[in-house]
Amino acid sequence: MFGGVSTTLDNVPAGARARIKGLNAGHGLATRLMQMGLTPGAEIEVLSNSRGPILLRVRGVTIALGRGMARKIIVELSPV
Amino acid sequence: MAVAGNPNVGKSTLFNVLTGETARVGNWPGVTVERKEGVRVYKNKKFCFVDLPGTYGISATSLEEIVAREYIISGEPNVVLVLVDGTAPERTLYLPIQILELMPNVVIAVTKADMTHKMGIHIHIDKLEARLGVPVVEVSAIQGSGIRELLEAILAVTGKKRGREKPLRIDYGGLEPIISEVEKIIKKYNILKMYPARWVAIRLLEGDPRLEELIRKSGKADVLAKIKQISSSARQSIGRDLGEIIAVSRFNFVDNLVKEIVVRIAVEEETKLFEEIFQHEIAGVVFSSLFLVLFFSLVFTINSGFPLDVIFCWLGWKQLAELLASYSLLGLMDEIFSFINATIAQLLESYNVQPWLISLITDGIISGVGSVLSFLPLLIITFFLLSILEDSGLAARLAYSYNSLLSKFGLSGRAIYPIVISFGCNVPGILSSRTALEEEERQQLIFSVPFVPCQARLIVIIAFATAYFSSSVMQALVMFMVYAVSLIVAILTSSLFRRFMFRKKEAPIFLLEIPPIHKPSLKVVWWLTWDYSKHFLRKAGLIILSLSIVTWFLLNHGPSGFTYNPKESYAAILGNFLAYFLSLYGVPKESAWIIGFALIQGFIAKEGLIEAIALLEGGEANVKDALLALGLNPVQAFSLLILFTLYVPCIPTVAAIKQEIGKNSLTLLIILYMFAVAIALSLLVNTILSILAV
Repeated sequence: MFGGVSTTLDNVPAGARARIKGLNAGHGLATRLMQMGLTPGAEIEVLSNSRGPILLRVRGVTIALGRGMARKIIVELSPV
Repeated sequence: MAVAGNPNVGKSTLFNVLTGETARVGNWPGVTVERKEGVRVYKNKKFCFVDLPGTYGISATSLEEIVAREYIISGEPNVVLVLVDGTAPERTLYLPIQILELMPNVVIAVTKADMTHKMGIHIHIDKLEARLGVPVVEVSAIQGSGIRELLEAILAVTGKKRGREKPLRIDYGGLEPIISEVEKIIKKYNILKMYPARWVAIRLLEGDPRLEELIRKSGKADVLAKIKQISSSARQSIGRDLGEIIAVSRFNFVDNLVKEIVVRIAVEEETKLFEEIFQHEIAGVVFSSLFLVLFFSLVFTINSGFPLDVIFCWLGWKQLAELLASYSLLGLMDEIFSFINATIAQLLESYNVQPWLISLITDGIISGVGSVLSFLPLLIITFFLLSILEDSGLAARLAYSYNSLLSKFGLSGRAIYPIVISFGCNVPGILSSRTALEEEERQQLIFSVPFVPCQARLIVIIAFATAYFSSSVMQALVMFMVYAVSLIVAILTSSLFRRFMFRKKEAPIFLLEIPPIHKPSLKVVWWLTWDYSKHFLRKAGLIILSLSIVTWFLLNHGPSGFTYNPKESYAAILGNFLAYFLSLYGVPKESAWIIGFALIQGFIAKEGLIEAIALLEGGEANVKDALLALGLNPVQAFSLLILFTLYVPCIPTVAAIKQEIGKNSLTLLIILYMFAVAIALSLLVNTILSILAV
């Protein structure tokens, strides 16, 4: 698996880890995401990614977020 | 003292341990955000605690955050008690840091001490206290430990013996020069004096719509423009969004802090089978649906026998069904009130009290009071079970399962609760609309949920279906169609309302924290439940009572005064008036006024529709014959059934709507909307089917 591949959160498969690179969202949404712990530089682990909201773990907490939002989060896949 | 913290951090539990039964629930002025206050006496001093809404931060991204922030700075609280979740310090320390940048009088309580130790997490409290300069106390609300220490810490900060002098200052590196520049401008022009200048500078660079609004209102819009210019040129030269840099710096501060003070003995969280089921798409929805249906069937069966009694009926166990209904809470209350009514009526008669006064007291006031009180058990049980769902962490998972389905109608997964509950009764359905993720979603629910047929309407539906349609297949089909039409109207109302009223094309933003599943604290759940129910009873009770008396007047008074003969009542006159438009359905003239009268009776309670018709068809032996005596044809019966199901919410529902939506004008709008939809739809159906039937 290549390390350092850039993609959006909704493309990260279940079980994979990634690091957030940036947020492609309006001010209000970006603030909300960051306050939940989803900041650039944060490490996340995707727990579930089929249809419907994505389940992930960040900063020790489990969060569910809708796919539309996940598309706005740019991540870098971590090397396996 | 203000109490702040992330959602799921254990704030309600701690609040209730601190304030016990002194807690009062209300609203923050002017908004539908809940406010809880309570008192604790310690060492002969009275501690007043105000619970702030659970927030992840104090930027202005939501109404809750604005309310929390403005209360903190209002000068009223001497101390802000901020909660940090011991099992998730990395994320939950963000809020106290934000608050500390705003005001220095903070006490930090690290909650869930019991779970923290179990999970192998150790937090160096002293170090944290040294780093931040404020008292930090480890508590376990469930076990009740650390409470005294907490109260001592609060006393110390109030007495200036411990704590910080000035707000926390975080180093924002490259942004510091820009922050200083903006700070100078703020001080020079006296912008927003009640807030610390540096804090305002940082907030404005991050972007804070609320502060900007306040600055404009104070007439300093030109200064704001200057500051915005500085901010955008900084963004240009740095190449990154300033808000992002600032938030990241704060989190870096927290991360460094955590590295110093938190030690984790590596414990991998086992994902139990339970968790995996919810995560799986189809299994999740199926399991959740089963769970919800069983759960709320239990609630409603205890309350009134429904839906278990309906099931018994279908199985042919009619006597068992009746037994169940009569021994349910509602059945018992019914008996009690009938008994009270009869006894008082007799008593008053023996004193030769005027008949109209007797009727007012028994049929008007006592029945009215009875109808209010009869909601109490239902509300208590519903809130109780909902609180358990919420506290245990199940609610978040259920919402997750339903989100994909509901987002197609402009709702989030949280809307499943109001919808399911409304099948039993609309009143708790409307009251539980607070679980919505957004204010817009909440309002959508209040507008659409009254269309969901409750059990009272089911009684009307069953009565008409069995009277006018002979084969069980047709009966089932008719009932199914009525439910289908009602649900479609509800769903369309929600999505169209969202699209045109709020101009939002996408479903509510689904961003939800999924807490670990744990045993709910029954004490807390019970306190919350009782407070909620009392609140409803007080506000809505008055409305229900007064509307009941007005309707009683219409039903029992005519131009010639009080009367026992319904034909002479104002309601009958109104019924005759409605008869004109009922003729559009082709309803026979003799029956039209009866249906009109029944519509008015149905406003009090939907099942009253049937009772009214039975009463007015002059002593027909049973309900079925009374309905047939109306002389309708099957098409008319079906169309009128749609009218009956959708036309208005019952009085208690109206009271609930008024409580949740606030304004009288909007409540009236909802009623008129439902009425219009009901008439339009039922007339349409009637016309089309009549043409087809010929």
